[in-house]
Amino acid sequence: MEVKVLFFGVLAEVSGTSIKHYRDVKSIGDLKLRIQDDFPEIVHYNFRVSVNSEITDNNKLLKSGDEVALLPPFAGG
Amino acid sequence: MDVNYLTDGPVSQKLISQLIEKMGGKTDSGGHMVFLGQVRADEINGKKVKAIEYSAYIELVSVEAEKIKKSIFSKFPDVKSVDIIHSTGIVRAGEISLLVFVSAGHRHQAMLACSKTVELIKENLPVWKKEIFDDDSHQWK
Repeated sequence: MEVKVLFFGVLAEVSGTSIKHYRDVKSIGDLKLRIQDDFPEIVHYNFRVSVNSEITDNNKLLKSGDEVALLPPFAGG
Repeated sequence: MDVNYLTDGPVSQKLISQLIEKMGGKTDSGGHMVFLGQVRADEINGKKVKAIEYSAYIELVSVEAEKIKKSIFSKFPDVKSVDIIHSTGIVRAGEISLLVFVSAGHRHQAMLACSKTVELIKENLPVWKKEIFDDDSHQWK
């Protein structure tokens, strides 16, 4: 299975990418660990996570084709 | 949905006047409230903000903007319409980055609902801003 991960705001800058695909991740918790392995600096930033445009938590299970987004605090206006 | 929630670059005068023109056809409304958010040339540590670069999660913006409108319509039953337009990309100091346009049967609910809509946008719309200074350095807000 494979999921698409979108990086937004400061996280796109820190990771140097806006999209990355990850294989064989069971949950958001798993995925976060994999992302931290790739981009250790990310642990210093606060962010929420959405799956298929719905904000969720670490326990959320992932399935192939899911779109995960890493969302730093919003700053519109 | 007849108006998109995002526009590339600043909210133009044309966009604002088009919305005002559209309101003319809504004879059930007695009051319109417009909020325009403008980029401020803040001075931070001796450097001046010359522009803000906005980025957004487009799909989630639509979902959240719909939720905001739904919540406004349920809290303020006299409100007839809510339009929200936020910038993406570069908006220079002095230019408009957010437009909220609320129409209601009577002025009081139009004013309250407009204010509440702006607060909900600040809290819930997945938009990020990068302040760009006059020396081309930047910081995320």
